[in-house]
Amino acid sequence: MEQKKENKNSPIARRKFLRVLGTAVAGGSILAVSGVLASRLKNEKEASYYWQIDPQKCTHCGRCETDCVLQVSAVKCFHANKVCGYCDLCGGYFRSNAKELNTAAENLMCPTGAIQRKFVEDPYFEYTIDESLCNGCGKCVKGCSSFGNGSLYLQIKRDLCTDCNECKIARVCPSDAITRVSMDTAYKLKD
Amino acid sequence: MAQNRFPKPDFESGYKYPEIHHAIPNEELLVAIDIILLVALMGIVSWAVIKKRTRGPILWVSVISVAYFGFFRKGCVCSIGSVQNVALALTDNTYALPLSVLLFFILPVLFAFLFGRVFCAGVCPFGALQELVNIKNYKLPKALTTVLGMMPWFYLIFALLYAVTRSSFIICRFDPFIGIFRLGGDIGMITCGVILLIMAMFTGRPFCRFFCPYGALLSIFSSVSIWKIKLTDKPCINCELCHNACPVDAIRPPYANKAKESRLRGVKRLLNYFVLLPLLILCGAFLMRSVSSELSRANKEVRLYDMVMQHEANPGDVLSLELEAFYGQGDSIEGLTQRYEKVQADFKLYTTIAGALMGLVVAITLIGLSVKRTRKQYEIDHAACVGCARCFSYCPQYKIGNESGNIAL
Repeated sequence: MEQKKENKNSPIARRKFLRVLGTAVAGGSILAVSGVLASRLKNEKEASYYWQIDPQKCTHCGRCETDCVLQVSAVKCFHANKVCGYCDLCGGYFRSNAKELNTAAENLMCPTGAIQRKFVEDPYFEYTIDESLCNGCGKCVKGCSSFGNGSLYLQIKRDLCTDCNECKIARVCPSDAITRVSMDTAYKLKD
Repeated sequence: MAQNRFPKPDFESGYKYPEIHHAIPNEELLVAIDIILLVALMGIVSWAVIKKRTRGPILWVSVISVAYFGFFRKGCVCSIGSVQNVALALTDNTYALPLSVLLFFILPVLFAFLFGRVFCAGVCPFGALQELVNIKNYKLPKALTTVLGMMPWFYLIFALLYAVTRSSFIICRFDPFIGIFRLGGDIGMITCGVILLIMAMFTGRPFCRFFCPYGALLSIFSSVSIWKIKLTDKPCINCELCHNACPVDAIRPPYANKAKESRLRGVKRLLNYFVLLPLLILCGAFLMRSVSSELSRANKEVRLYDMVMQHEANPGDVLSLELEAFYGQGDSIEGLTQRYEKVQADFKLYTTIAGALMGLVVAITLIGLSVKRTRKQYEIDHAACVGCARCFSYCPQYKIGNESGNIAL
């Protein structure tokens, strides 16, 4: 009798029961959480995942160059040709205090010489960005926005960006211009 | 901000606007490969640990994981970080959680529930990296591992707190190995990573055991998993070889509970715990709530609000970049104040919950320390076991029945 009673209250049976209970609770919670999340899940195409700069918000503060996790920032200067005025005296190409309007480095805005200029016809010049040289400092963007059409702007190159879960530049961006876009929104362009 | 100061030029020479294409990698394909590889590698580890009971495949999986998830995909998005996205998605309806992140979160949990922490074994690039550099297992004192063992929980709780308040993803921010995978980054974090790796050479997986918040979460599910890793099918001869081989102290030695206590005392002790438990929870909740406004300074809105208030107090100061952007965009201070107050209210609520959970962690650890169960043989602690499969080849009982020679290192 005594033996039987002890068996009934034996910790082994209790532990087994608790274990089964634990398994049931764990399995149930997995189902519940995935159910809730799956119901909230938007289409993968709509769910935003890729970091992009909103050119309208960007204040070209220069942190894109310094704060990206990559050694050379994934932010590059983009040029919207259709916005550009093709000026000879380009605010994004020449420094505001340039002594002479020639291609000497001390006259140029871009510290790496990534902006190339090509004569089209009088008085128009075409500007293109050599992406491999651009470091995303945004100096030209500042110049173009303050004296120009604002056709130069900064954007994150999706083939260079590592899609960090939390974009390090977005964290320090003073104007909250960096947000995620969905897979089918390719680039936030200015055209 | 688009200033059209100059008119569009009308070209006479027939100039055409250049077509500019910006490269878009095949992101859908990469995401699909990520998920398929995640499932395949976890499947291989499960098979190796549960069925085949050998370590060889796990090492190969580790190499693949470090190479692909680590160096090729640069470690983002990983399951560890996905905890934050999921927490944010659960509390914030406006946050769109991508399916891939959900799968990265839920699949390892599911596998942990079925087969134990097979994700940790070698599929997680962080665990794999530490596993691959490990050469010697010096045991750490029990007191140290118990105290440090609470850290992943605290880390998890803080990470969730900052994720649900939309402040920061601290798991991603303070990630020691990402700089190594990316071959560059924050020098402080890389130094931490290197120190952790050097430690990992001499003791098993310091990051997994003492920091990893996702491992803490998985340990809940692996402790009640359906198929469990077994040391040996044959009777244990208590040789302690497996215990010495285990890098993460997951094999509990036999323990004879000599001081057999009376039932009454046991019940009394249990009652004491139940008094202690809510007390610790309340303490934690109160403490965290009292530092809620300090903790909220990690939030961008709060920092901006402070800056604006400071500037309003002495308007003569030079504008910082944030203030320039704030005034430049013409945001109203009222709007900012509203957002600030909402963040503060969120922080009040969530710090209280976080504090309560931290109290719970401490209480459960204390209870765990004082619960003493009799064990007749070596047993795996399934919560701590990461499924590295080292113990199998050390077990003499296992070797007897397995003379075909496929005993891995």
